[in-house]
Amino acid sequence: MKKFMTWKVWLLVIALILAVIILAPNPWADGIEVVSVDANSDAVGNGLNVGDILISINDYQINDVGDVDTALASLIYSGQEVKVRTSDGFETYDITNDILFEVDENLTISDSVLFEDGSKLLEINGQTINDYDEFNIVYNELVPKRTLKIVTEEESIAYLTREIPKIVVSEEKTSNLVFGLEFTGGTRVLLKPIGEDITDDDITTLIDVLSNRLNVYGLSDIKIRSAEDWDGNRYVLVELAGVTQNEVRDLISQQGKFEAKIGEDVVFSGGNNDIPYVCRNDGTCSGVRSCEDYQDGTICEFEFSITLSPEAAQKQADLTSVLDVVMEDGKGYLELPLDLYLDGELVDSLRISESLKGQATTQIAISGSGSGATQDLAIDNAYEEMKAMQTILITGSLPFDIEIAKMDTVSPVFGKIFFNNMMLIAILAIVAVALIIFIRYRKIKFVLPVMGTMICEIVLVFAFAALINWNIDMAAIAGILAAIGTGVDDQIVIIDEAVHGKKNSRMGERMKRAFFIIFAAFAATVAAMLPLLNAGAGLFRGFALTTIAGVTIGVFLTRPAFASIIEAIDEREEEN
Amino acid sequence: MKQQFQELYYKHYKKLFLIPLLIVILALSVLVWNYSTTGDIMAKDVSLKGGTTATIYSDIAFENLEGILEERFGEDFTVRELKEFGSDKYIGTVVEVSNINGDDLKVALEEIIGLTLNEENFSVEFVGGSLGESFYKQMAIALVLAYIFMAIVVFIAFRIPVPSFIVIFAAFGDMLCTLAVMDLFGMKLSTAGIAAILLLIGYSVDTDILLTTKLLRRGEGTLFTRLIESMKTGLTMTATSFVALGIGYLLANSLVLKQMFLIIMIGLVFDVIMTYGMNAGMLIWYLKRRKVEE
Repeated sequence: MKKFMTWKVWLLVIALILAVIILAPNPWADGIEVVSVDANSDAVGNGLNVGDILISINDYQINDVGDVDTALASLIYSGQEVKVRTSDGFETYDITNDILFEVDENLTISDSVLFEDGSKLLEINGQTINDYDEFNIVYNELVPKRTLKIVTEEESIAYLTREIPKIVVSEEKTSNLVFGLEFTGGTRVLLKPIGEDITDDDITTLIDVLSNRLNVYGLSDIKIRSAEDWDGNRYVLVELAGVTQNEVRDLISQQGKFEAKIGEDVVFSGGNNDIPYVCRNDGTCSGVRSCEDYQDGTICEFEFSITLSPEAAQKQADLTSVLDVVMEDGKGYLELPLDLYLDGELVDSLRISESLKGQATTQIAISGSGSGATQDLAIDNAYEEMKAMQTILITGSLPFDIEIAKMDTVSPVFGKIFFNNMMLIAILAIVAVALIIFIRYRKIKFVLPVMGTMICEIVLVFAFAALINWNIDMAAIAGILAAIGTGVDDQIVIIDEAVHGKKNSRMGERMKRAFFIIFAAFAATVAAMLPLLNAGAGLFRGFALTTIAGVTIGVFLTRPAFASIIEAIDEREEEN
Repeated sequence: MKQQFQELYYKHYKKLFLIPLLIVILALSVLVWNYSTTGDIMAKDVSLKGGTTATIYSDIAFENLEGILEERFGEDFTVRELKEFGSDKYIGTVVEVSNINGDDLKVALEEIIGLTLNEENFSVEFVGGSLGESFYKQMAIALVLAYIFMAIVVFIAFRIPVPSFIVIFAAFGDMLCTLAVMDLFGMKLSTAGIAAILLLIGYSVDTDILLTTKLLRRGEGTLFTRLIESMKTGLTMTATSFVALGIGYLLANSLVLKQMFLIIMIGLVFDVIMTYGMNAGMLIWYLKRRKVEE
């Protein structure tokens, strides 16, 4: 009598055990995990780590990804107006995240774009400031330090801060499977360098500058790789998980050639050579300064300071020394402004005060604006715009222009709906196939192995995907479904050969014939998928690979096991 | 009964393979006619000619969105609704257009429908024109290569030229008919659609391989019994695939997947005709002639 547990079945069992180990499923994991947090932030200084599972922030329960923003939103300072008088003059502005200057014990102002360094603080909101202690009291009233209490599964931390930590979170992993963009949401950009003779070095530079830009901007969950197609076109594929701001897409897709010109002469350009320091993440020299209503919404101005290299400063001095002074509203300006261009487009024009004529100033304030339907949105937008501009000034421009060959932005919310939809289809399809097998053979003992085999194949292909670290995206799922479909076809051939061919020849021969058919069909499917591996900038590789992996696993692992189980079932039936 | 059926079959099987042959010729002429009028055998969607596909996830039906957009941009738009299966509930609206980028389209849509579109309710895909063209070219090459590779596999498997050639021709006919039906229904070919046609090669060739293997092995019942046996197996195979794909087609809330499922389903219908009409008929004709010669 034939055994159920032949070596073929054991092989499948071992493969399944390995698959489960590789996948490490943890379906009950439902925590919210810290994916990234600014390394210089107070939060990290006080012990928050990447990988921590958040429980609550300031007693607000963190149950999903959106809760973190909600919990932190209460910490945002509303843009209250402040009036400051110094020995330099009087300014009224909105406080968004800080008071925008620093004072020492003698109330001498430093690090400010609003007031001259060295001027003396006199009054805040009409209240005379006599000493440093008085300043601190007023400062703490205006921008009080608040307690930030973060409870994670690992620890509980609490500290006083004015800083709102930028915490990026995601749902805790439920397995080692990585899902693709269509399911997690995010942005995928396929970039093509413009120009002839793009070399390997060019592509490497492009990847370096892009990853540098994205890192400087503060994104961590990014994938960048190069791709090529049959025509010899070269591409760079950038994938960003989760929600992506427009500014980030701009960062990826623009050359980022920044130039400051006086007339036709370039004074300085973006990058480390001319701009060794760009102020950011420091409210005293970078921030959103003022907002005003504009049309239907609000427009907010941002400003941040940059430090020029001595050479660039000297160039500015040389160029300004020959300019004439013109008078406007009682103040003297140079006849030509400092024009700022980004990729050939004028982004800002700064009037130069007559006092700077021929001066080698190293400090320059760059400004710009962001807008939105409400003030909060406008402030956010201004911050994003500022960050993008700062990033480009720091990382410099690409050696050539690039174009967006393809760009997909998928909503994370609907990615999840898509995924659930696919799972529903897969389950119903398996049930339907089982039903047809039952209608045809009227034997539940054929149906169960067929269903079992389909499920085994899904697990094995998933494990294979996790093992070689490739993402399960929509194309991959389509490939898996296709592979399982051919798998069912093969199983029907096996059943028919086992049951119907028995009058004429021995089981061994019948199985041989079944496997001839199976292998020929397998080879034809793989042959049909092979050309797709490298077509179209590699975007179809996931589909081709999963299909090939699926049918290969099927033919070499699950089919032999299935055949040997069917043989055993059939033999037992004959004896009864 | 079986005897009668067998006699009937042997009498008319030549007609049986002439009908599929006619269908293939008809399909070919549809494609040729299309080529001569439009310059291409198939209408291509934005994924192959460049353009933007935007999806708004909302349960609101937007009336005459296509007309408003066309008037505004002077471009040809395609607007399709995504509905939940079994109900009239909208889950989204898909807008396709060439020559307009995602940002411009988003701004226009926000104005027209009066919704703020953000990452929660909006997805957008953009393909540049030159990339779309190179996708099309490369997918077409991939398709040709796939057929050549498949043909080599079939020849190696059977090592007899005529039956191998019939298998390959049946698979090829299947593809031609599927493309022609897509043309007639006004379906536009997408990259995913071409991937589906590549999958179809696998699905269509396996029933042909099964049939040919069965018919070529002598000494196990009559030719006719073997034909019926392989038909039973093959039709069960096709039925399971067809039903599984049908479920996918009805339930999928992605138009890309819907198109893939539909293409394979159309292909499976023609596969039955090609396999058991053309391939079986031709092969029996060939086997009978060979027997006579022997």
